[in-house]
This record gives sequence, structure tokens and C-alpha cells, in this order.
Amino acid sequence: MEKAKISAYQLFILIILFELGSALLVPIAIEAKQDAWLAILVGMVGGFCLYLVYYGLYSYYPDIPPTEYIQKIIGSFFGKIFAFIYVLYFIYLSARVLRDFGEMLITDFYWETPLFILNTLMVLIVIYTIRKGIEVLARTSELLFILIFLLGISVLFLIVVSGIIQISNLEPVLEEGLKLVIKTTFTQTLYFPFGELIVFAMILPYLKHPEKVKRIGLLAIGLSGLILASLMAINVSVLGVNNVTRSPFPLLSTIQTIEVAGFLERLDVYFILITVIGVFFKICVFFYASVVGTANLFKVKESARLAFPLGLAILILSITIASNFSEHVKEGLHVITLYLHLPLQVIVPSLLLLIAFIKNKKKKSKQSKNLILKRKYRLSERDKK
Amino acid sequence: MFSFLKPKNQRSDRKIQDINNQNQSNNRPPNLIESSLSNNLEVIKQKTGNSSDIVIRPLKIGHNSKIKIAILYVKGMVDNQLVNDFVIESIMNNQNLSEKLAPQDVLEVLTEDVVAVGGIKVVSDWEILFTALMSGGTITLIDGISKGICASTQGGQRRSVQESTTNVSIRGSKEAFNESIETNIAMVRRIINNPGLWVESINIGKMTKTEVSIMYINGIAKNEIIEEVRKRLNGIDIDGILESGYIEQLIEDQTNTTFPTIHHTERPDSVAGNLLEGKIAIFVNGTPFVLLVPALFIDFFQSVEDYYERFDISTAIRFLRTVIFFISLVGPAIYIAATTFHQEMIPTKLALIISAQRESVPFPAFFEALIMEITFEILREAGIRMPKAMGSTISIVGALVIGQAAIQAGIVSPAMVIVVSLTAIASFATPSYAVAISARLVRFIFMVSAATFGFYGVILVFIMLIVHLCSLRSFGVPYMTPLAPFIREEAGDTIFRRPIWAYKKRPRLMSGPNRVSQGEDQKPQPPRTRTIKNTTNVGKGERNES
Repeated sequence: MEKAKISAYQLFILIILFELGSALLVPIAIEAKQDAWLAILVGMVGGFCLYLVYYGLYSYYPDIPPTEYIQKIIGSFFGKIFAFIYVLYFIYLSARVLRDFGEMLITDFYWETPLFILNTLMVLIVIYTIRKGIEVLARTSELLFILIFLLGISVLFLIVVSGIIQISNLEPVLEEGLKLVIKTTFTQTLYFPFGELIVFAMILPYLKHPEKVKRIGLLAIGLSGLILASLMAINVSVLGVNNVTRSPFPLLSTIQTIEVAGFLERLDVYFILITVIGVFFKICVFFYASVVGTANLFKVKESARLAFPLGLAILILSITIASNFSEHVKEGLHVITLYLHLPLQVIVPSLLLLIAFIKNKKKKSKQSKNLILKRKYRLSERDKK
Repeated sequence: MFSFLKPKNQRSDRKIQDINNQNQSNNRPPNLIESSLSNNLEVIKQKTGNSSDIVIRPLKIGHNSKIKIAILYVKGMVDNQLVNDFVIESIMNNQNLSEKLAPQDVLEVLTEDVVAVGGIKVVSDWEILFTALMSGGTITLIDGISKGICASTQGGQRRSVQESTTNVSIRGSKEAFNESIETNIAMVRRIINNPGLWVESINIGKMTKTEVSIMYINGIAKNEIIEEVRKRLNGIDIDGILESGYIEQLIEDQTNTTFPTIHHTERPDSVAGNLLEGKIAIFVNGTPFVLLVPALFIDFFQSVEDYYERFDISTAIRFLRTVIFFISLVGPAIYIAATTFHQEMIPTKLALIISAQRESVPFPAFFEALIMEITFEILREAGIRMPKAMGSTISIVGALVIGQAAIQAGIVSPAMVIVVSLTAIASFATPSYAVAISARLVRFIFMVSAATFGFYGVILVFIMLIVHLCSLRSFGVPYMTPLAPFIREEAGDTIFRRPIWAYKKRPRLMSGPNRVSQGEDQKPQPPRTRTIKNTTNVGKGERNES
């Protein structure tokens, strides 16, 4: 493990940027039609539960990453297999995000540039960042968050000022009952974007203040859920349900409809800025998790050395993952959710928590807290040195 | 947090010079002065190649003028009056010396009673003696004694204290450092009259023996950082130090970056302000530029004047500087990206105007921008190196040729001239030349990325720049502090400048254990009573009474 520490505030910002990352791009939960925002909020509640599961595992093993504690929970052999599956999963997810993003660029801005070139540039930047380590990534997120924040506020202001919001597009609420919302939640929003937080299990051991993990994580999920829900509500109210369903990148369409004072129009660059930064962090977090996971699993001492080969793998994977964009989207909506997200984000962690709970049953429940306190004490000792 | 965190050594090794001398003496056996005066003089003549500017004044003192002594100094390096009145004359006229004295006692009498100069030390090592002689000291050698007396009589012609030329300000002290290290240190002492202001000296450079001093406020500066500065300075082994830039390049944390990780200034008040924040100043003899470590990125966007103006004005100016820096970085890149890739972004009427202008231009926007930027860089370089009398010629040629003729010839478009000149002015308006010059370099990377990938390229390079900046450290302190890592109580002194009364604590990563910098309740308030009493001194106590 890298000798690095990140603060609670940095974790907070990383989670928010990660959640917003590619979720800003695509129309999430649009199956729920005008109640998409509601489905996101319900998904957020599910995200809280999942995060508590991951946190539970963390509180049993606050010092080591999941690739290591999974071996302690279910034994070395099966543990290694599952750890390897998780590493592959993270690699696959970062390739997916990269593909999403590259397709967006090709569809809307760079019709004649090959996908490979666009993705290569992004991967190069990501490799550069990961080689610098988690601390630099966290600091970068703090700086760029300010930029994203300012951009977001100004976009919101422009949308409101240009008077394109029509609340009536959001009505009627719950037209087809709560059932559709719940169904959308369990087939989509629970896993993407909230369940993907499992990747942060790889990052939590770096935290400087372990006692803040729970509160900060929940706060960040809540805030990003609210942002995403309101964003989706804005998209639907500006464009109408039909347009959002048809548009591959609804936020872009919303921004394109802004027109203020006759010259503030076609602000596509806002959209590029926001998504490049968001996607950058999402890929970075996934990529970092896979690099650290690989290093941990195969006992590589300098994890930074893995950045180049793994980056290449992600790049090639992002191109070969699907032959075209519709195939890519279909895989994402139907295959991945059922066969990858559901078991790896929900079932396996819950089972692990159960086993860990039974294993630690003899010890009193206080001791899990003691572990965290012990770690905090150890950290403060290290500080003094 | 700091990689160099190690158990602290006790303060017994405070004097770097001692360590340095020990190191030197460990390396080679000390070359000691002999007792015979004529031999000693012979050694000096031989070592200095009988240089004509070394003055050797033989004297005879004591009972019946039996004791031979010699006084040596270098012409021009010493204060002539000091040497004549208080060394030579007082030796010649002193009553004590005419008594019967054993040669051994002469040394004591000379140092304690006769030579009327402040800094006196007795040395027995040739190395130290020569350093003292060559830096403007006056040496007295006595026949029969294997020791020499060094009196510090530094003087000679130096530039007087003048107004700063590089850090100009409207309000605030006008004096700037000059080339003499004693004057410079004294100028800071004049501002901070506190015994806690500590100075340590060391001579660096095998040939130049340049005096380098570090200055900090004991109790405010962080011990680990002071220790690190000492370590890095002691590690320097080089022929000569000609300017503080040498030191800067030899002790910085990271060399493969265009951004400066060590700050330099010409103003005593700036040094004092930074010392109060826990920074460490490095003075180098022979240059008016004093180094300040650790340096943060935002330091390069601040001028001392920000603290002298009221906070709202300063905040507005700092905002302006941020905008300026962005323009100087990405100005041409955005123009290139917008005209080459994202024409839809430009408002229709403006797009029409630009395309009409560009119709006759034979080059693509990137090449056009490159021509203009390089021409401008040439002009700027010429403007700096030219004799002042030629300056106006340069500006006329530049303005006419670049501004007017190039457009009329149809080589560049007027819009491009506007963009490039705006960028140029912006890069002049950045308070620190060191950062402006790195922005100048990075701008070309932005231009290339804009020409190849439009805004996508610009944003990627921007992210990479931020990652790079975040990965830098200056003496262990992250470069982007207090923005990243974000420190709330210090972020008020970045792009914003909070009111002076709100500076409650000193910077966390740079200052020592005691971080409280001012008393509680410093915010000025009007008196509680409605009618203002006509008293000359309305103190707090009076306010509470009413």
C-alpha cells in the first residue's frame, strides 16, 4: 500500500465528483419517465444502505484494502479468486466509462476523429495522474471541484434566466404508480451510479480520520443524489420526457437550449468542461482501485509501475468492449446490471459482511469500534514521529 | 506529512559555520599560521600571486619598537577611514604598547585594548584568515605569534539603498534591498525589532566563498523546515554562487517543472511579512534578491500592497489577477480552438466578422498565432536587452510592423493581433515575473493542444497542469496549499484577502506550535454611545464603560 493519507473533506469531494462523473452524461432512470428524479432519490436511499454495508466491512478491517480482507474472510484461495474478479470488474468499469465518454465526444463534437485517439488522450492524462498517487488525485479534485461548482452554478443561473424550465413537464407525478419507480431503482439507479461506490472500499484505508468515514460518505452520497435528481428534473422539465428518452446525452441538449440576451447561446463548451472533469475523476478512481488492487494481489511493490500496462489494457478494452454505441448502451442497461452489478455490488459484499459478522461474533460489538479507535491512535502516533 | 520528518537534533548545532568548519577540517589537516612574520608574509604573497591590491603595512611597536607586526587589507574592500583611524593609528599611538611587553601578551593587548573595531576574532587557520582578508577584513600579524587578528572593516563603494525596480508598489515602504548582505539583514531587523529574529550564516562556493544567511523568527518558523533548509544549504558544493538564483536552483524540491517553488523578492517589508507567517528567508551576498521558502503557488499572485489596501479593494484586485493569469495561459489557445473547431460557439455576427477578416489570411489560425507569439517574444527579449536609449525605436518598429503592416500585408488578422496583445499585456500584469515566464512556456503547449483537439485538448492539458501543480512541493509543503489540501482558515488569504483583523492564526503547515498571531476581538467597532465624545484616545476600556 502506498504511504499516503487523504482527509475526510477530500474523500467527500472525490465521492461527489465520482458520482456525478458519467451520471451527468447519460439519461439515468429515464424508464421511470417524468419520475426519473424520484427513482434517483430512491436509488440514493438504496445507496445509503449499500454504503453502510461497505462501511461495515471497512470497520472490521480498517487498515487493509478489500483485496486483502476478502482473503481473511473467505479464505486465501476463494478470496484471491474474488479479489481478482473485483480487480477485473474495476478495470472493466473504467473502460466502460471511457467508452461512454469517447462516444459522447464523437457524437457531438469530433465526428471525424477516431475513438481510439480521443480515448488515448484521456488515458494518458489518467496514467500521469495515477503515477503521482492518491494524494495528488485528491488535491486535484479539491481544485477542480471549485471549477465544477462555479460552472454548475452559472449553468443553473443561465437555465433559470433563459426561462426554458417548464414545470408542467414533470407532471403528473407518479402517473404509473410507485411500482415503476421502484422497478427502475432496482434495475438501474441502485447500481449506477450509487452501487459503484464499492470502489471506494479500496480507498477508505487511506483515510486520515477513520471515525468520519461513515458521516462523510453518507453526506456525499446524499448531496450527489440530490444534485443528480434535480439535474434530471431540470432535463425533463426543459426538454420533455420524449426528448430526454431519445437524447443520448440529455444534459447537452438542455445546455444547447440556453439562450440569454441574444449572444449567450450554444454553450456546449460548458458541457465538455463539466463532463471531461467528471469523467476524468471517475476513470481515475476506478483505475486507481484496479492498480492498487493488482499491486496488492500480486505483491507488486511499486504500484505506480502498473499504471502504464493497465492503462493500455483499459484503452484497448474501451475500444473492443462493444462494436457500436447502441450495443454498448444495451449491454450497460441489461447485461451488466444483472450479471455484474447485482452480484458484485450487492450480493457478495452483503454475504462477506455476514461472514465477517459471524467470525467476529465472539468479540463484543464494541470491538469493531475499538479497531477504528486503535487505528486512529496509531495514526496519531505516526504523526508525532 | 513531511518526508524529512526525523527526530530533531538539539539546537546545539545552531551555527552552520561551525559545522562547516568542522567538516572542512575533517577533510584535510588544518593549515596553520607560522610564528615567523616574514615567513607568513611570504606565504600570503605567494598565495595571492603578489596581487597589487593587497596592502601590507609593516609596523614596529612595543618597547624600543622591538616587536614587528604587519597590517594587511585589500584596497577598495575596506572602509579606509576605519582602517586608518581605528586600526593603524590606534596601534601606533597606544600607550599600553610602549610598555615592556612579552610578545605573547601583545596579541591580548591588541585585541582587548588597542584595535577599536567592533568585530574582532583571533584565527590560526590560513583558510579562515584568507576568507576574512578577501571579504574586506583587516588582518594583523605579529612576529613570534602563530595567530592573526581579523578585524571586520568591510566597506568600500556599494550601491545605496534605492527604490525597488522589480516589485513596485504605490503604497508602502519605498526602500529595496541592495547588494550588501549586512545592509539587507539590517533592513529586516529594522522592521522586526525582536530578539527572536535569528540569523545563521554560512559561506558557500569553493572559489567565491559567498556569504549566505538564513533568517527566521524563532518560535514561528517550523523547526523541521529550518532543519531541511540547513541540510540543503550545507549540501551545496560548487565553485561559485553569483546570485540567489544559483541557490534557488540547487535547493528546490523538484527540477522538472517550469513553476518556481522558491519565492524571491527585493522588498524588506515583503520579507518581514513572510517571516511573520513562518517562512524562512535566505540572503545571498551580492544580490538584492532574497529567497523565501517554502513558497506556495498563490504567493506569486500576491504583492505586499494587497495587505496595505483595504480588503475589499485587494480582493477585487486579486480576482483580476486570477483572470489575468488565465488569459495569459489560455488566451490564444481559446481563440484557436474556437475558430478552428467550435465556430458554433462564437456569436453569429462576431463569427462573420472574424471569418471576413480571416478570408485573406493564408495561414491556419494556429500558425498565425504562432507567428505573432514568436514575434512578440522576440520584441520583448529585444526590449529587455537593448540599451534604454534604443527602447523607443523598438516600440515604434514593433507597433508599426507588427500592429499595422502585418495586417495590411494580410499575414495576420486584426482579431489575432488583439488576442496576442491582450495576452502579452496580461502576462506583464502578473505580479511575479517567475510565474509569468512559466505561463509563457505553458501557453505554447495549450496552443498546440487547441490546434489539434480543440477544447477537449485544452481541457485535458488544463487538468494535467492542475495535477502537475498539485504534485509539487516546496520544502515538504504542498504547492497548492491552502487550496489543495484545502485549509479553511487560510483559504481567506488566497484569491480573497480577508480583513486584517480576521487573521487569527498563522499558516498551519509552515509555522511552529504557537499559531496564534493576534489577540481576540481585533475588529474595530464604533463606540457604543450614539454621540461621539470628543476624546483624543477612545480605548476599549472607555467603550465598555459607556
